Amino acid sequence: MSGGAQYVVAAYAVIWFLLLAYVVVLGARSARVGRQVEAISRMLDRREQKDAEPDPAEDRT
Amino acid sequence: MRRRQLTALVRKDLRLELRTRETIVAMVLFAIVMLAILQFGFGTRDDDLTRFTGGLMWVTLAFTAVLGVGRSYVAEREQRVLDGLLVSPVPRVVLLGAKAIAIFLYMTAVEIIVIPLVGIFFVKGPYWDSIGWIAIAALLANLCIALSGTLFSGLALFTRARDLILPVLFLPALVPVVIAGAGATHAVVGGAHDMSEWRGYCLFLAAYAILFALVSIATYDAVFDD
Amino acid sequence: MTDSPARIPGERAAMIWGVLATILVVAATIGVFLVAPEDADQGVIQRIFYFHVAIAITSLVAFAVSCVAGILYLRTRNDRWDDVGEASIRIGLLMSVLVVITGSIWAKASWGTWWVWSDPRLVTYLIVVLIYAAYFVLRSSAEDDRKMRYSAIYAIAGFASVPLSFYSVRVAESFVHPVVFTGSGANMPDSMLIWFVVSQAAMLALFIALLELDLVGRRSERALRRLALRLENA
Repeated sequence: MSGGAQYVVAAYAVIWFLLLAYVVVLGARSARVGRQVEAISRMLDRREQKDAEPDPAEDRT
Repeated sequence: MRRRQLTALVRKDLRLELRTRETIVAMVLFAIVMLAILQFGFGTRDDDLTRFTGGLMWVTLAFTAVLGVGRSYVAEREQRVLDGLLVSPVPRVVLLGAKAIAIFLYMTAVEIIVIPLVGIFFVKGPYWDSIGWIAIAALLANLCIALSGTLFSGLALFTRARDLILPVLFLPALVPVVIAGAGATHAVVGGAHDMSEWRGYCLFLAAYAILFALVSIATYDAVFDD
Repeated sequence: MTDSPARIPGERAAMIWGVLATILVVAATIGVFLVAPEDADQGVIQRIFYFHVAIAITSLVAFAVSCVAGILYLRTRNDRWDDVGEASIRIGLLMSVLVVITGSIWAKASWGTWWVWSDPRLVTYLIVVLIYAAYFVLRSSAEDDRKMRYSAIYAIAGFASVPLSFYSVRVAESFVHPVVFTGSGANMPDSMLIWFVVSQAAMLALFIALLELDLVGRRSERALRRLALRLENA
């Protein structure tokens, strides 16, 4: 490595790191959306079951 | 018609100010304290700070501008005058124009005290013979401060943490004005007489003012849209 | 309700741009490190230049997009333009931070100090970062309609401040110091220029891909919120 190569590596490492971090943030958001969709669909499943066999004792949460 | 509305609004601001004197007195005191703090902040008891004249002057004026611009809509908001003005048939551009004129006048009043004071406090070399050039640059800078200040204080007016938002929005936009103002001052103070440099900075200030006037005219309707 | 949900508009575009950006970024990285010739003057340090300048230009493009989105928002009052504006300012801000950091590293490598006030590019981007960081402060302290309106106005005013910062710093430079490095791209041999062009294309594609991805995410979040609201009311 000629003089200053470590700075070039550092610069590109920072670029890659921050861009990747940004993509991870976007990914985390889509994961959160997915989780909420799952929760909603589970809630709908439960509601449908309840409609099929109504059970007044069960409280709605 | 518009001109009558404009003069009426400006006169209202000035009359209020002359009666209470709260804004200009506070601005001047603040500027003097700033100058003293800057001197102490250097950590030297050096008498001749000619080299830093531009910086001392324009840092002080920039922070004073933030203070003054932050006060500019306070009376309207506190006494609910703004609600009345906004439903009245006064065009929004007249409203902003009146505010800009008021800020311009306040800043000029502060500079009438601050610019000579900087000379007395910090400059041991020649200063007074070039004070006219400094004044021209200062008037141009006031125009910039008035135009961008009206826009940003209008934006900050109805936000939460308004007093915090305004400096955060306004100071980065003031950086070019500080650079140009300090540069123009530096060009003519302490025996320097670099008129081409001074002219360059003044042209820049004029360009800044024109650009912000255009942005304000293009967006003023949306600032007060509720 | 249909069983197979309609594709969210923009999903396909996000995919295509994402793939394109990935290919271009990989190609640019290979080109910059393995193919491009060593600079006779600056040596290996010059290899920072390719991405540094490409990211700088792309961040300006992002701010221009946000300014246009701001104008369109004020014209149409369509939430979509607010999304575009915020997303592109976020990417532009990220990129300007990268410009400042890599520029600082470059300064350290070639002049031995982390910060050089006489380098106009570094100073300008510092101001730009401050201007656009304030955008998010403004956004966080207003709601709904007002938030979008103020953001749009600030995006326009901010974009007006960008050339002003550029020139104010350069007016000062031209008098006080000789400019240390400007447009080193202008006099580059073709074997370097080609990799700069590839890097630039890669960063632009990356910007578009991230923007589309962000917009798709926002849209699905909004759809989800609507759905949740309807279920609660049902």
